[in-house]
Amino acid sequence: MTKRVDRRKFLAGGASIATAGLAGCALTGSGSSDTIKLGILEDQSGNFALVGSPKHKASLLAIEEINNNGGINGQQIEYFDPDPQSNNQRYLELTRRMINQRNVDALWAGYSSATRETIREPAIDPNDQLYFYTTQYEGGVCDKNVFAVGPTARQQLGIVLPYLVEEYGSDIYTIAADYNFGQLSADWVKVLADENDANVIGEEFIPLSNSEFSSTISRIQDADPDFVMSMLVGSNHTSFYKQKASAGLDIPIGTSTAMAQGYEHLRLDPPAMSNIYAGVNYMEEVPTNRNTKEGGFVDRYYEKFPDAPYLNEEAENNYFSIYMYKRAVEQAGTTDQEEVKAALESGITYPAPEAPDGEEIKLVPETHHVNHHMWVMRADEEHNVEAVDDRVIDETFLKDTVGCDLTSKDEETQYTPQDYYEEAG
Amino acid sequence: MAIGLDLLVQFFPNFASIVLAATGLAIIFGIMGVINLAHGEFIMVGAFSTSLAYNGGIPFLPIDALPGLSRLIGAMLFAALVTALFGLLVERTIISGAVPNWISERTLGRPVVTPLYDRLLDSMVATWGLSLIMVQTFRNVFGNSLSGVPIPFGELSYGNSSIGLYQVLLAGVAAFVLIALYLVFVRTDYGMRARATIQNESMAQSLGVNTERTYMATFALGSGLAGLTGALYTPLLSIEPGLGSVFLVDAFVAVVVGGSSVVVGTLLSGGLLGIVDTLFSNVYGTFAGRIALLIVAIVLIRFIPQGLSSLVERLRERRLEVD
Amino acid sequence: MGVESDDTATRGPLGRLAAALHGPNTMGNSRRFWYLFGVVVLLFVFFPLYMLPSAVTNMSQYLSLVLLALSLAVVWGYTGVLSFGQVAFFGVAGYTYGIVAINVTGPLGTIAGLVVAVGIAALFAAILGYFMFYGGVSDVYVTILTLVVVLVLKTFLDQTAGDEWTIGEAALGGFNGMPGIPDLALGIGEPFLVFNDTVLFYAALLAVLVTYLGLRALLNSDYGRVMVAVREDEDRTEMLGYDVKRVKLTVFTFGGALAGLSGVLYVTYFNYISPSELSLTAASLPVIWVAVGGRKTLLGPIVATIFIERLGLFLSVNVGDWAFVINGLLLLVIVLLLPEGLLPGLRDLVSWIGDRRGDSDTDDTTDPTGEVIE
Repeated sequence: MTKRVDRRKFLAGGASIATAGLAGCALTGSGSSDTIKLGILEDQSGNFALVGSPKHKASLLAIEEINNNGGINGQQIEYFDPDPQSNNQRYLELTRRMINQRNVDALWAGYSSATRETIREPAIDPNDQLYFYTTQYEGGVCDKNVFAVGPTARQQLGIVLPYLVEEYGSDIYTIAADYNFGQLSADWVKVLADENDANVIGEEFIPLSNSEFSSTISRIQDADPDFVMSMLVGSNHTSFYKQKASAGLDIPIGTSTAMAQGYEHLRLDPPAMSNIYAGVNYMEEVPTNRNTKEGGFVDRYYEKFPDAPYLNEEAENNYFSIYMYKRAVEQAGTTDQEEVKAALESGITYPAPEAPDGEEIKLVPETHHVNHHMWVMRADEEHNVEAVDDRVIDETFLKDTVGCDLTSKDEETQYTPQDYYEEAG
Repeated sequence: MAIGLDLLVQFFPNFASIVLAATGLAIIFGIMGVINLAHGEFIMVGAFSTSLAYNGGIPFLPIDALPGLSRLIGAMLFAALVTALFGLLVERTIISGAVPNWISERTLGRPVVTPLYDRLLDSMVATWGLSLIMVQTFRNVFGNSLSGVPIPFGELSYGNSSIGLYQVLLAGVAAFVLIALYLVFVRTDYGMRARATIQNESMAQSLGVNTERTYMATFALGSGLAGLTGALYTPLLSIEPGLGSVFLVDAFVAVVVGGSSVVVGTLLSGGLLGIVDTLFSNVYGTFAGRIALLIVAIVLIRFIPQGLSSLVERLRERRLEVD
Repeated sequence: MGVESDDTATRGPLGRLAAALHGPNTMGNSRRFWYLFGVVVLLFVFFPLYMLPSAVTNMSQYLSLVLLALSLAVVWGYTGVLSFGQVAFFGVAGYTYGIVAINVTGPLGTIAGLVVAVGIAALFAAILGYFMFYGGVSDVYVTILTLVVVLVLKTFLDQTAGDEWTIGEAALGGFNGMPGIPDLALGIGEPFLVFNDTVLFYAALLAVLVTYLGLRALLNSDYGRVMVAVREDEDRTEMLGYDVKRVKLTVFTFGGALAGLSGVLYVTYFNYISPSELSLTAASLPVIWVAVGGRKTLLGPIVATIFIERLGLFLSVNVGDWAFVINGLLLLVIVLLLPEGLLPGLRDLVSWIGDRRGDSDTDDTTDPTGEVIE
C-alpha cells in the first residue's frame, strides 16, 4: 500500500488532540495547606485598567505588610492575581478557577457592578465563597457571602449634597451616566434633596459612549441651577469637565465619581476640575495622619510602587478590607469561611487611612457594609484638593429602611431605592 | 429664536466630529478598497503624539518650549506627520505586504502575502487584529492615561448659553480639510492618479499610473488625516489607549452613508447625520441623539446603498441629460 | 469528483449516509477521517472522567460558542455574507430566554424559553435579512449595517436600568445585566434533568455534533452547492435562475436561529446576561474565530473557537498584559499568510511538505477544498 499522507485526518486529529490537551491544562493549586490563600481579581488591562490597577497594587501592599509582620495567626498569605482584563467572561472563568482549583479562603474581585453580578449567582453563592466587593457602588446588595465594603451612593451623595445645599442653594441639576449606577444615584439625589429641602430642577442621562456635551452644557445654562450633581462615569465623560471649562460654565459641581477614582484633577489641565466637590470616603489627598503623614499609607504605597500614577478611592477599600479579613480570621481562630463570616459579623473595626486618629471604621454585622468616614474634597482653580467637610456616615438604606439582617436571615438580594422611596420613583 | 441659534451652534461640533473622524477612512476605503478597522487607533496615535509633544515627552523636539498657540499647533502638526509615517509603515508591511514579500522572496523564493487591496472583508479582519495589538501595546508602554492638553480659546456666548469657541472652530477646520482634499484631488498630479485608480485600476495601470505608489501615498494621507483628527481632539478628550473606538463607529457609518466620493460623500453625511444628532440631542437628550443617528444611518444604507454621493452623481447626470 | 472510492461503493444505508456527508464543500471525506473523528468524539465523551470539573464547565462554555461560530461560518463562509450581527441574535435569544424562564417557573418555563428564544432570534434575523437583501444591500454594506444594528441594541440595552424596564418578573437590568437566569431543565413540574455542569457539557457536545453533521449534509447537498455558488458569484448564480435573495435570506435566518441556540446554552452556563455580549469586541469574536479557523470549512471554526477561547484564558492567567497583543498578532498573521484560515492552511502546508518529500505520488487524492475556481 502506497504511503499516503492523509492531510485532513492529520489536521483534524492533531488539532483536536492539541485542543483537548490545552483545554485540559489543569493547573492544580500548588499551595501548601499552611498558607492562607487569597484571590485578587482586579483589572490590570482593558477598559477599567485605569481604576483597577491601583486596587490591585494596594491589595499587594496590604498582603506584603501583613506577611512581613508575621502573617495571620502565624500563617503567611499566598495570593493569586491573574488579570481578568475588564472582561466579565474572564471574571467568571477565573472566579471558578479561584474557588475550585485554588480553593481560596477569600476573594476580592471586580470593579463594576456588572462584574459583581456576573460572578455572584453562578459562582459565589453556590459555593458560599467569602467575597469582598470593594468599589463604590449604587448600594443595596444584601447577600450573606458578599461584603460590599465600598461606600454606597447614599453615603457619598449624603455627605456632599447637604453641604452644597447649605453653601449654594437648593436648586439642583443632575447629570448622570445612563446605566444602573448613574440612574440609581440620580434616584438617591432625589431622596436626599427631599430630606434636605432642596429640589431637583432637571435630570439628564448620558450614554457611556458619549463625549459631546454642548447640548448638555446649554441645558444646564438654561436651567440655571445653584449647583450640579454629576455622576458621570468613564473616560468619555471626562470630556464634560474640559468642555464646561472651555464654555465658561462656572457652576459648582458635586460628584461621587470624579477625581477620587480616575484622578482627573491630575490628568486634566486646570481649571477643568475647578469648584468640583467630591463626596468620597477616600482620596489620596485625604488629610488624616494615617494617610498623609510621613510613613503613612501614601508613602508606603509609593515606596512599593514608585511609578504608580495615583492612589485612588477603591485602592483604600481593598487595603483596609484585607486587614479586616485578618482581624476576623484572628478572632475566629481559623480560615474556615463560615466561621470567618461569623467573625466578620461580630462588629469588626479597623483604623483605616480614611479615618482620623483615634477612630476606626466599622463593618456593620447585619448588612456587611461599612460605616465610612466620609469627606467632601474640593478642587480649586489650580486643582489643589482640600477637605471642606467630613463626618462618619452610616449605611442606613439596607440597615434601617430595608431591614436587611444577615445575622439572623440568609439572603442574596439587591434592593433599589425606587421600591422604598416615593421621591425616587 | 434662541432654539434655532442653539441648534446651529451645537451642530458645529457634531458636524466636525463626524467629518474629521470620517475623512481618513473615506480616502482609504474609496481609493484602495481597504477597510481600516484600526482607524480609531490611528486617531489615538495622533492624540498620544500631540500630548507627548506638547508636554515635552519627545526627545530632541522641544515643542513644549514654543510659546502660546504655536506650541499646540506645532504638536498637532508633528502628530499628523508621525501618524502619516506610521501609516506608511503599516501600508508597506500589512496592507500591501511588500516588506514581508521582499523578505520571503529572498528566503523562500516566493511571495507569501497577497495585498489587501479590494479585499474588503480580509482587510477588516487584518486591521482589527492590528487595532488589538495597538491598543494593548500603547497601554503597556504608556500606561493607562497621558496628561492632557488644555482647550485653547475661550467661550463663545450666544443668547444666555455659551460653548467653547474651540469646538465651533473645529467645524471650520473640518470644512477646510474637505476643501483642501478637493483641491488635492482636482489640482495635483497625485489627485489625478488617485481618481483614475478609483475609477478603473487596471486601466490606470495600463496608462502608466504607478498604482503601488499611489496606494502608498493614499494610505499615508489617510493616516495623516486620522492623526490630525486625533491631534485636533486632544484638548477635548481624556488621553487613554481606548479613545479611538468612539471615532471608529461614527467614521464607519459616515463613510458608508456618504458613498464613494470622498469629499462630497463625507460632506453630505457629516451634514445630514450631524443635523439628526443635534436635533434629537437637543430635544430628547443625548441618548436619543445617538440612537437617532444610528437608525437614520441604517435607513440610509438600506435605501441608498451606494451612498449619498451617488445621489449627487445621478442628479448631475440627469441634469447633463436634460441640457 | 472527490468522493474517495476506497470505500466499497455500497448503496446500503452506510453508503447513503456517507454520500450525504461527503462532498467538496467540507473537509474530510475518507474512512480514515471518520475513524479519527470517532476517536476525537470519544475523547470528548469521556472528557469529564479525566478532566477537572472546572475544565468541563469551561469546555461546555466553549462548545456553546462553537455554535455561534458555526452560525457565522454558514452565513459567511458558505454564502458570502459577512455578518457582524450574529451576536445580536445570540444576545436577543439570551435575553428572551431569561425573560421567559424567570417568569414561567419550572422546567417547562425553561423549555418554553428555549423555543421562544430561538424563534425570536430567527424572526429577528428574517426581518433584518429581508430588510437588507431585498433592499439590494450587499457586501461591506451588509457588514456595516449588521454592526450598526448591534450597536443600537447595545446602546438601548445599556440604559434599561430602571424599574420600568421590567417584563413581568424579569428586570432587564441595563448595563448591570439580568442575573438569576435559571438553568435549562427537562421535566414537568419537578425537573428530572437540569442542564448544569456535566449535563450541560453533554448537551452542548450533542448540539455541536448534531449541528456539525447536519451542516455537512446540508452543505454537500444541492442546496449547499447553490449556497457556495452565491458566495462565489452572485450575478452568475442569479442568471442561472436561482433566487439569490431567497437563498441569502433563508441561510441568514437559519444562522440567526443557530446563533440563538448558542445564546440560550451560553446563558444557561452563565445564569446571567448583559449588554457586554453586544459590544464591538464581542461582535468581532465570531469573525475572529471563523477567519482564523478557515471560513470555508466547518471544522476550522470549531477548532479555532475552542483553541482561541482556551488560549485567552491561559493568557490572562499567565501573561495578562500581552494577551490582546497575541490575539491580534494571531489574527494578523492568519489573514496575511493563511487567508483561507488555519485548518486549510495547515492542510496545504502538510500537503506541500508531502510534495516536497516526493513520496506522494497520487496527488489527486487531495480532495477539492471547496473553492470553485473562477
